[in-house]
Amino acid sequence: MRTVAPAVVFFALAGLVPLVVRDAFLLDAVVLILIWGASAAAWNVAGGYAGQVSLGHSAFFGVGAYAAALLATRWQLSPWLGLVVGALVATTVGLVIGYLSNRLRGPYFVLATIAFSQVLLIVGSRWRGFTAGSEGIPVPFRPGFWTLGIADKRVWVWIILALAVVVYLVELYLERSRRGYQLAAVREDEDAALSLGVPARALKVAAIAVSAALTAMCGALWAQYVGFVDPFYVFSVDLSVRFALAAIIGGLGTALGPFLGSLLVTTLETYLRAQFGGIGAGFVGIYLIIYGVILILVVRFVPAGLTGWLAARGTRRAAAGG
Amino acid sequence: MSLASPLLSVAGITKRFGGVIANRDISFEVFAGELVGVVGPNGAGKSTLFEIITGFYAPDGGEVRLDGVRLTGLSPDRVSRLGVGRTFQKLRPFAGLTVTENVMVGALQKCHEVSRARQEALEILGHVGLEEKADAHARTLSTGQRKRLELARALATRPRVLLMDEVTGGVDQRSIPGLVALVRQLHADGLTVLLIEHNMRVITAVCQRILALHLGQIIAAGTPAAVTRDPRVIEAYLGQVYV
Repeated sequence: MRTVAPAVVFFALAGLVPLVVRDAFLLDAVVLILIWGASAAAWNVAGGYAGQVSLGHSAFFGVGAYAAALLATRWQLSPWLGLVVGALVATTVGLVIGYLSNRLRGPYFVLATIAFSQVLLIVGSRWRGFTAGSEGIPVPFRPGFWTLGIADKRVWVWIILALAVVVYLVELYLERSRRGYQLAAVREDEDAALSLGVPARALKVAAIAVSAALTAMCGALWAQYVGFVDPFYVFSVDLSVRFALAAIIGGLGTALGPFLGSLLVTTLETYLRAQFGGIGAGFVGIYLIIYGVILILVVRFVPAGLTGWLAARGTRRAAAGG
Repeated sequence: MSLASPLLSVAGITKRFGGVIANRDISFEVFAGELVGVVGPNGAGKSTLFEIITGFYAPDGGEVRLDGVRLTGLSPDRVSRLGVGRTFQKLRPFAGLTVTENVMVGALQKCHEVSRARQEALEILGHVGLEEKADAHARTLSTGQRKRLELARALATRPRVLLMDEVTGGVDQRSIPGLVALVRQLHADGLTVLLIEHNMRVITAVCQRILALHLGQIIAAGTPAAVTRDPRVIEAYLGQVYV
């Protein structure tokens, strides 16, 4: 059984940061590491544990972001309610995508998920009467916890940390429960799983729906944190790739992996933005190049991801020491 | 005449693939505690028949019943949960999981507690002689060990009848006697088995009754001695390899 000690350390450190750090730039980096980590972990539920690789998860993120933003601006309702509504809508959308996963395999499924997120992008950017179209939605800042109008970034660290831990616990459930073992069997060989009585189709659909709901929750909180929802960002393929990338770099189908992947990728991106941000448009996309290089290096040299690499190092050291 | 009703009954199964008829009006019964063999040359329709019984293929005609319950039309996982276990001719271990985890997936069908399923899996691994490989990854096993793993996995679901496809196929000669002894032992412990087997020596050694398939039809059925003497069987299958 895999140990949870590294995860406890990781989350404890993240929770302690606001107690010692006051610097807004650093706190912002921690919030982003956690939110992209939680999103990648939510993606991992479908892409890693169930083996249903999606490059359209921004669809769910966007649904969550829009749900929270629209409820707050149009009906003056709490973004917490938006989080719940977003999760419910995303679950419904996830059931549709999940149904597709039983019809389409491998690359065809991936293409279908991309197409799905692009359909939502068109809806979000053209349905001016409801979503404000391509201008996006500024989320009103109404001070208070219930309205999530929180200026103190330290509080944001704890809020996002709570969500991150929830997603991590879902992953842990998938590593230790009966349903988790059955899902792993489906991922490894669907026909063999069926022959052992595993309800493969229902499990895949459920995994994708849960993954969608968790991703939407990340989107809802992100919208409140950033204060603006832009359809071209929240429904972008870039964002979907970011989720998948952090999970793959960290270690597919490992619970802490997506958070470690996010730690690496988000830190690097934040650093590069700060380094090259002011120089000019020529460097704006440089982090994408860096992403690509990292992905190639990881897939070539540590296909099991950071988690696999660390575990192998740990074993070697233990062997050498003992 | 036996008064007992059959455990597995196959009635009038027909399956076409385009113009090819893989199974033509196949009917037979298996009673509880029997070990029945299915023989036939390549392309006789043995594996197709297995796929139909286990719900992976839908037949064009006929039906399969387990203890009176109609299986035809049900999904493979439902068929498994009703009590039909199977192994695959082309082995399909969960390569990324350990040997124990592979068997646990089978045990978890009826057992809802992971720790109990692990215990059950270890016991079954002991039965099939894989206990020392319990923590190994399935991809590291030899073909003979993989056959045992598939058996263990299927046994863990506690099937009422187990369909084994080519238990000794692709296995080196030295591993065959061990596998044959294992099948015999399982049968002696009360398991009902339907066995597809290419190796005529194996099937005559372990089966009480065999069915011979040729071009999708049953051409002979009975004791191994009777079937191997049947002129149609000799012509269709044995003539070339078993003189």
